[in-house]
Amino acid sequence: MRIKKMLLLIAVPVLMLFAVVAFFRQPGHAETAKAPPAPVAVDSTKCIAPAEYMRANHMQVLYAWRNSSVREGNRVYIAKNGSRFQKSLNTCLGCHSTNRLFCFNCHMYANVKPKCWNCHLSPMETP
Amino acid sequence: MNKERRDFIRKTGLGVLAGICASSGLIQAFALEETVLPAWDEKPVPGKIRWGMLIDTRKCRQDCKECVAMCHHVHNVPDFGNRKDEVKWIWKSSYEHVFPTSTQQFRTKEVLERPYLALCNHCAESPCTRACPTEATFKRWDGIVSMDYHRCIGCRFCMAACPYGSRSFNWRDPREGIKEASVDYPTRMTGVVEKCNFCSDRLVKGLMPACVESCPEKALTFGDLNDPRSDIRALLESNNTMQRKPELGTKPSVFYII
Repeated sequence: MRIKKMLLLIAVPVLMLFAVVAFFRQPGHAETAKAPPAPVAVDSTKCIAPAEYMRANHMQVLYAWRNSSVREGNRVYIAKNGSRFQKSLNTCLGCHSTNRLFCFNCHMYANVKPKCWNCHLSPMETP
Repeated sequence: MNKERRDFIRKTGLGVLAGICASSGLIQAFALEETVLPAWDEKPVPGKIRWGMLIDTRKCRQDCKECVAMCHHVHNVPDFGNRKDEVKWIWKSSYEHVFPTSTQQFRTKEVLERPYLALCNHCAESPCTRACPTEATFKRWDGIVSMDYHRCIGCRFCMAACPYGSRSFNWRDPREGIKEASVDYPTRMTGVVEKCNFCSDRLVKGLMPACVESCPEKALTFGDLNDPRSDIRALLESNNTMQRKPELGTKPSVFYII
């Protein structure tokens, strides 16, 4: 009997303590969770990362975008400066396809043959 | 010891554990967030939504093919004009082909002669996703059986596994068979299996599926089967409906009013 009472005496204050902690932690969480879902603004005035970085790493970025948007439904990319982009090839090609040779110039020079254009529209084909 | 008291002590202990986990961030808060369809801002909650479709076959007209035309145009589905190379996402078929195992006797002639729409059933227990060796076809967080064409190796196990014939293989370059290309959706390539994606591409834009939107008779209803207040659930409750081959236990998300 005494052990049970002791247990209760310990458990109840600990529980209350966590309740209080949880209560005070809640507002911050609630604010981020309850914020109205802003429509995804496509910022077409800037690039998602500096050109040097993209030149070296665009394949990894596209690979990560493809996996997280197709498979996990995580369609919004938040850049380092806080601006938001749709994870889509069209986010890049929306601006860059003004240069019809945008992808091809480098790929032809480097003799790289990615399979993107088997299905997706390349800058040469975009209207 | 008294059983209730023992239970109480146990539960208290569990409560303390849960409290520790919650305050240290081990149990994440995402399970409580709301998923909003048109703007998926956060990572979606798995299993919260289950998209489904209800086809009112009484309204479907024999001569109308609007849904098929719009779906196949929007998704760049090729048409080569022959059955061997045929690729289809949604199509019209006869009663005995859509419900071959239906044991219902003495259907009226009118019911037997109606056209029936067939498409991927987006089964809750999908056999195709179990057959796929590369997880190219997979069950999405919202109940859609999706294809990741990047991963498909063209083994066609999923086609063998699908009991509804909802999947097509690209024997030829699909771009040869597309008359008016749509820029909203990519094409596929040779050696890839494809099928209806429940318009997951349109759902992210806040649009209804192409077949639902194009139907002039409003015979198609699309909605969340997990939401008891949705239109589709109201129709399911007020009508007698059928699924395709329910005895297989695939739990299709497409229902038919006969």
